[in-house]
Amino acid sequence: MNEVIFKTDGEGILSRFYQMIESVIEQGHGSVALVFLIGVIFGGIVQYARVDKFEKIAGFAMLKDTIVPKMLFLAVGLSSIAIYFMVEAGVTNLHVKPIILPGLIIGGILFGASMAILGKCPGTGPVSMAEGRIDVMVGAIGGLLGGLVFTLFYDDVFQPLQGESLGTTILPNIFEGNEEMSVLIFGAVVVLIAILIPKLEMEDELEDKDALR
Amino acid sequence: MAHKKANRLSWWMGGILMSLLLLLTISTFGADRPIGASTYVPYISGLIFNLDPEHYTYLKSINNAGAWEGVMLIGVLFGGFITSVFITKTFRFSLVPSGWKKYKNNSVLSRLSWSFFAGFIMIIGARLAGGCTSGHFLSGMSQLAMSAMVFGGVVMATLLITGKFFYNTKGS
Repeated sequence: MNEVIFKTDGEGILSRFYQMIESVIEQGHGSVALVFLIGVIFGGIVQYARVDKFEKIAGFAMLKDTIVPKMLFLAVGLSSIAIYFMVEAGVTNLHVKPIILPGLIIGGILFGASMAILGKCPGTGPVSMAEGRIDVMVGAIGGLLGGLVFTLFYDDVFQPLQGESLGTTILPNIFEGNEEMSVLIFGAVVVLIAILIPKLEMEDELEDKDALR
Repeated sequence: MAHKKANRLSWWMGGILMSLLLLLTISTFGADRPIGASTYVPYISGLIFNLDPEHYTYLKSINNAGAWEGVMLIGVLFGGFITSVFITKTFRFSLVPSGWKKYKNNSVLSRLSWSFFAGFIMIIGARLAGGCTSGHFLSGMSQLAMSAMVFGGVVMATLLITGKFFYNTKGS
């Protein structure tokens, strides 16, 4: 099965595209159809909840809209409890990213500042592009160049800047002996935060006008 | 100014559905990997600029994750487009968001230059940290990863500080 029709060693964007599909087939993290479907549902939820909007993300940065943190904290709180017990039941594995302090802090500062200005992140940006936001397409061109620069200067600049990994500690490791309790408390507190954050919404006059028609 | 709200999911329904999608994705019945949405960017840069992954340490290290997210991205674009046209009916071409007009300025050039600049910085930042809102915040914190909590805390603080000083939020 590894000599499928997609097998192409060529260069150029089309054969690279086939190599992408082929890589998904071979790496065993779901079929191409499933990965595509995960994307469709992700895009659908984000678009339907309207959390890809500038008014929602930059609006939160201005503390005039709190839908994004409410939705995100609720998802994290529920998932954290579920994933912990799914691991115990053997139906999932953890994929924890390393603690690289300089990378996380410098990266987090750059990411937070640009998220406030663009009003998107890499997950919500494509949804905005799909609904016709030309400014976000320009942002994506900037992002692709950022990806290029990161790749070109990875060895000399960015990898040294990331620093050494301090391991892949997770919260329950810190509370040895009380693992389950620490997970339940974390999940409950995060859900509670989601509920307690006051609900604020920045109106988008254009979209609300459309809805009136 | 009591406008009629556009057709959309409530925050709690959105949060529950996003949680279910993450659980499906990460389970061994699904893809047995978390949701991520920033590795695809350098991966697609590699495709567009035709960089050979064999010659670039970074591209080689993200080859599998980048391809996976690349296919997911096609789905995201498709799902976002279909939902905006048929469900929320919010598809329209626009250059400057109304919130930018209200709290920043009316200049198309200003919005586009800032978007370009922010997009560039955002991907450098996400790749330095090894993740973004999806990979660190949503997937990482849901796995109780300390790396995600550090990233989440820094992003949240910087986001709010930038929001306070970049926009004119007073006197409106």
